[in-house]
Amino acid sequence: MLVMSSRIKRIENLKIEFDEQRIFRLIGYKKKSQEIKEPIKKMIAEEKKKLEYLLHPASIYTILDYNETNKHPVFKDAEKVALCLCTIGPDLEDEINQLMEKNEMVRALILDSLGSEAAEEVAIQSDRRLADMARELRFWPSKRYSPGYGKWDVKEQKYIFQVLPGKDIGVSLTESCMMIPRKSISFRINFYKNKKLTTRKNTIQGKSNDRNNQT
Amino acid sequence: MSKEELLARMGKAIIEGDKDEAESLAKEALEEKMDLIEVIEKGYVPGIKKVGDLWEKGEYFLPELITSAECMKSAMNILQPEMEKAQIQAQSKGKVIIGTVEGDIHDIGKNLVSSMLSANGFEVHDLGADVKLEQFIEKAEEVDAHIICLSALLTTTMLGQKRVIEILKEKNLSDRIKVLVGGAPVNKKWADDIGADGYGENAMVAVKAAQQIIEE
Repeated sequence: MLVMSSRIKRIENLKIEFDEQRIFRLIGYKKKSQEIKEPIKKMIAEEKKKLEYLLHPASIYTILDYNETNKHPVFKDAEKVALCLCTIGPDLEDEINQLMEKNEMVRALILDSLGSEAAEEVAIQSDRRLADMARELRFWPSKRYSPGYGKWDVKEQKYIFQVLPGKDIGVSLTESCMMIPRKSISFRINFYKNKKLTTRKNTIQGKSNDRNNQT
Repeated sequence: MSKEELLARMGKAIIEGDKDEAESLAKEALEEKMDLIEVIEKGYVPGIKKVGDLWEKGEYFLPELITSAECMKSAMNILQPEMEKAQIQAQSKGKVIIGTVEGDIHDIGKNLVSSMLSANGFEVHDLGADVKLEQFIEKAEEVDAHIICLSALLTTTMLGQKRVIEILKEKNLSDRIKVLVGGAPVNKKWADDIGADGYGENAMVAVKAAQQIIEE
């Protein structure tokens, strides 16, 4: 189903912040940061600095009535469904490719981890805002779910891209339903009338909780 | 400086991840007209072996492993052209075909494994990402490879790993060409279920698995 462009909205003011300990874990460390060698710490700091010009976070969404959706079984019992597409843009991945070509694999790994974390942050913030919108409309929001998890096949990416104009934020879909840039995330949130239909911790606010509100 | 001291410094440069030192020692080896096989086998290789030991002891982590692999590659890039000119060939630990399977464009994990395999003496033929399944087998037959490493980052593309193993069986090649699988959604159970010969949970485990296959 085509959605009127006026119903496609952007999540504004996305701010990316990093939890340093998570970055250490993502690049393979299991120990405390003070035990990490200085050259590696220096590299992390240098790659992090590049993010100022490599990150272009963007997020678009629409909120549909159940009857406007393709009525996939995963939307069952929802009054409304929010569909969202987020990205950090292509520049970071281009930089990773250049680093790999130059045999700078550690820097590539660091930047890749920072990119994954940044994309996740965009999704978390988008999810949080959409959940707030659901509450304002007096619905109970579900956790966020991405295609490829549970009963929502990865092929349903095609449906999301039918509804949301990925090209507006520079995201496209491959034949095998992978998003390009790779550091992009798509998801849905079901809006329910009945609180019992959602497992989202709706009463607790905050980042740590929202990080867990994903599947 | 004695030859022994120079060889020891080469190993140390790899262990400490000092790329400039690894490169400068490689240049020195060329200037001194040292036996390049000895330079590799007694200089740099003990360094990368030690790095593997430190990883096993939990003293080194992925970034240190990769830094050492980068150093190894930088030194080899200096030695290789001269070795080719002189028609000297370092002994390969085995031939490996590696790539991310069809439909999957993730490649950083695969590139890390590729670097670690090269640093540990394997002859690596990296086919890149989104590689047609038949291409893995064609290349393996062409270069007479011992191992195919298949990376998949999606639950959907993991099935490509299974299919390659099936094709190898259909062509009666599975005794000759072994398969290692890896990637975020892949685990030991999946590797066992599809009949893979090994599972690379991470880059270093993949190297160990490849070494084990060759030793067998």
